[in-house]
Amino acid sequence: MSLLKTLLTRYVLPNTYRATAVRFTSSDAKLSACDDTPVEMENPYKKERRQCILCKLNIKPDYKNYRLLSQFQSPYTGRIYGRHITGLCKNKQALVENEIRKAQNCAYMPYYYKDKVFLKDPKLFDPENPIRSHRF
Amino acid sequence: MPTYEVALMLRAMPKPELKTTLKRISHAIFDRGGIIRNIENLGFRPMPYKTTAHGIVHREANYFVFKIDAATKAVWDLKEEYSRDVDVIRRRVFKSQDTCDNNCTLEEELLPPAYREDVQNMIEVGKTQVNRFTYKFKYNSGLDYYPFQK
Ligand SMILES: [Zn+2]
Repeated sequence: MSLLKTLLTRYVLPNTYRATAVRFTSSDAKLSACDDTPVEMENPYKKERRQCILCKLNIKPDYKNYRLLSQFQSPYTGRIYGRHITGLCKNKQALVENEIRKAQNCAYMPYYYKDKVFLKDPKLFDPENPIRSHRF
Repeated sequence: MPTYEVALMLRAMPKPELKTTLKRISHAIFDRGGIIRNIENLGFRPMPYKTTAHGIVHREANYFVFKIDAATKAVWDLKEEYSRDVDVIRRRVFKSQDTCDNNCTLEEELLPPAYREDVQNMIEVGKTQVNRFTYKFKYNSGLDYYPFQK
């Protein structure tokens, strides 16, 4: 019985579908019988170009905006997270590191810890899951 | 005249005194032919680390940022003057950067190593160098002794 069922679904049902499909499109096919050549189009499956969070939101890192900069700092040691953790592009990572160093030098931001007021800020990335593995 | 940002930390003091200090600071800029574009007050708050200035330990500071247009040579002079000012704990001068390009190169950086441009350049450079690990000294160098330590 089950064999009959599988045979039915495999060979009989697809044919009926195909038949109905042909019936529906036959009128259109008559109108444009000659131009059924493949249509030139862009790859519809092309993935969107990835951007880092600062480029996407058009943010310029600034040493006066130390709240933003403190999000790129470890809460335990104050160390600036690397590019493989923050997921920034080379350009923006260099800018962020530079601005953090400026802010620390201007005494806006601490060197060896993260300001406790900012500890509950939303996380931009997960230091436990870096893009490339690291030795720590 | 280029635009600079002067980040100043002033010691904790009452309002009228602060006013005179700010006046003194801005007059120093005007005397050297500078222009103040704007003054930002970032507030009075505890510093992240204690700082010694003019023999006193400071734990709190008034934060100010002056955006000024001044001659490059006048900036050195200003810094020197502020360093003598007892009310100024710390001063930093940065060139103001307003433009920021947003051509993100993250997509290229996330490619596998063989497709990355900097890795390809590294390989090209490596081809021009002598490989330390596979290099073997040839004895037909014309010397009648071995030139290295054995
Ligand atoms: Zn970017």
